[in-house]
Amino acid sequence: MATNAPIPGGSSEIPPVTPSRPIIPEAPSEISPSSNSLQPPPSSSDTDRIYIPSYSRWFSWTEINECETRSLPEFFDSRSSSKNPRVYLYLRNSIIKQYRDEHPNKISFTDVRRTLVGDVVSIRRVFDFVDSWGLINYSSSASAKPLKWDDKEAVASEPPSTVKESAKRICNGCKSVCSVACFASEKYELTLCARCYVRGNYRVGINSSEFKRVELSEEWKTGWSEKETLLLLEAVMHYGDDWKKVASHVTGRTEKDCVSQFVKLPFGEQFAKDSDSEDALETFDQIKGSADHESEGRVKDGSSSPDNKRMKLTPLADASNPIMAQAAFLSALAGTKVAEAAARAAVTALSDIDHEAGKSAGGDPNGQEINGNDSERAVAEAKSLIEKEEKEVEGAIREIVEVEMMKIRDRIVHFEKLDLEMERSRKQLEDMKNLLFTDQLNIFFHTRRSRKAEDRAEC
Amino acid sequence: MKASGKGPVKFRMPTAENLVPIRLDIQFEGQRYKDAFTWNPSDPDNEIVVFARRTVKDLKLPPAFFTQISQSIQSQLADFRAYEGQDMYTGEKIIPIKLDLRVNHTLIKDQFLWDLNNFESDPEEFARTLCKDLGVEDPEVGPAVAFAIREQLYEIAVQSVSSARESRLSKKSRRGSDYGSASKASGLSMDLVKLFSFKSSVVRKWKDLDVYEPMVDLLTNEEVDALEAREERHAR
Repeated sequence: MATNAPIPGGSSEIPPVTPSRPIIPEAPSEISPSSNSLQPPPSSSDTDRIYIPSYSRWFSWTEINECETRSLPEFFDSRSSSKNPRVYLYLRNSIIKQYRDEHPNKISFTDVRRTLVGDVVSIRRVFDFVDSWGLINYSSSASAKPLKWDDKEAVASEPPSTVKESAKRICNGCKSVCSVACFASEKYELTLCARCYVRGNYRVGINSSEFKRVELSEEWKTGWSEKETLLLLEAVMHYGDDWKKVASHVTGRTEKDCVSQFVKLPFGEQFAKDSDSEDALETFDQIKGSADHESEGRVKDGSSSPDNKRMKLTPLADASNPIMAQAAFLSALAGTKVAEAAARAAVTALSDIDHEAGKSAGGDPNGQEINGNDSERAVAEAKSLIEKEEKEVEGAIREIVEVEMMKIRDRIVHFEKLDLEMERSRKQLEDMKNLLFTDQLNIFFHTRRSRKAEDRAEC
Repeated sequence: MKASGKGPVKFRMPTAENLVPIRLDIQFEGQRYKDAFTWNPSDPDNEIVVFARRTVKDLKLPPAFFTQISQSIQSQLADFRAYEGQDMYTGEKIIPIKLDLRVNHTLIKDQFLWDLNNFESDPEEFARTLCKDLGVEDPEVGPAVAFAIREQLYEIAVQSVSSARESRLSKKSRRGSDYGSASKASGLSMDLVKLFSFKSSVVRKWKDLDVYEPMVDLLTNEEVDALEAREERHAR
């Protein structure tokens, strides 16, 4: 199975394993039927489509790409005879096939390693590699299939208290909104509020052990109404970082709730001071639009950006580079269409600035010069700038060297002087020693003479 | 062809990849977790933690299993490493390997000869080919077969270590025991000379054919339940 040549229009299809599931690589923007960057594929419904990100377009069933050899060198360096490319292909292709069979459920590493022959650590590495490139588990948001585990184990009459994040709120039994905690049965897909569960208000055939207690997630607790969000914004504007006062202004919310809600607010809220959340998005779009007016990618569906907010973060989000992570976070908040438009606008604005700079520098009234020349001029300018910088740097280095040399020369002179002094004082010392010695000799002779004289005098 | 014994070799799995079979069977608070897989002992030990965490997360086990799993894996690896420094005897060792396992709905019974001296052997490759040839559809059978083979090889390798130790001791004490018989000490190995002497042919005898033929059975749900109930009763 080889890949097809890319279909003009930017989309390419990888031939599916089973003919009912076309696989479409996409730019990491949300698929919408009106998007003009993808041609809608010929057949089947949405649930059969399997998406992989466009940066994984290199994938082919029969070939191994360079990024694979780089990321998983253990299979390609022939250090061990049973870790070879063939085994790698077998592992990789079986993992992907298995995922596509399970689609739209996600597959976990444990599902995979039970069905593959090989040592589990290598399997895990291949699984992580394929997962991080979005070749598996990319378009699924559904949780994994129910485990055999749940069916087989004999649970005591009390349901085990596992905490799950579930957004189900309506009770199947009494059709009321569940609060605090509810009981869910995965097997039969029922949600019951505490009252119905206790009363036994469910279908015949299910016993109470099938249910698990679910604590309702933060979503219910922090269902912030518009008024509350407005109060929050006002409070933040007045009190800034003093969250105690903010919390007291927004009645009924703790500090932590206020902080987390504020952080979760769409980016535009920070610009829009007095408007509530819906208007905030519009003003946000207007601000973006004023930067956008040169670009063609005008954001038409500003109203769909709330949906885009909930979209999962693009793969850049876990880049270790903090700047890239910031950019990913912001673009995820803002919605990818907006981010695309903004990026395009920024690029065209930059190139326009360059164009103008080029014109004033060149002074040549060749107004018909096209963008090609601009880029050439930019390159030439950059080169001359580089040369100037280099010369400056060289000059600076020369000066530094000269100064250093002078310093050293001075020091040498100083040392020479000191040396001379030393010599002189040493000579002096020698002379003084000599004098002392002659004096001593004189005294000695004198004393001897005087003693002899005395002796002669006595005898 | 002489049944010559090679000198002692440092302990390792007699397969191309030095992989350790790890079996887990943990009971905790009424939940039972059984698993079997192969592990590469040259992987760093932090992989154990990663693997245990992944497994607990994927199977939604209670978090107490995490420590149990990692401890079990570590102790089995430690046992393996304890053997690694020692010698094992690798004489002419053709051993029969038996398969008798049930994976989900598939039952496999098989017996074949394996050369313990062949350090390039690959149970994984064998398992893959076996499943492909027998048309086994359940993908979980392959790893189970490879694991079973590895487990038996591991046991026999361990036995040969202890027999090597015994033979060394006996040499030292000069009890006159034949150290050349250490290579046949396991009692399972077959003498190639007897098999392939000029009197008999290489072709297997009729009566052995049934034993050596692989048998694959697909069970129905009731049979599976019955077998599982029986296994659990044995376990308790």
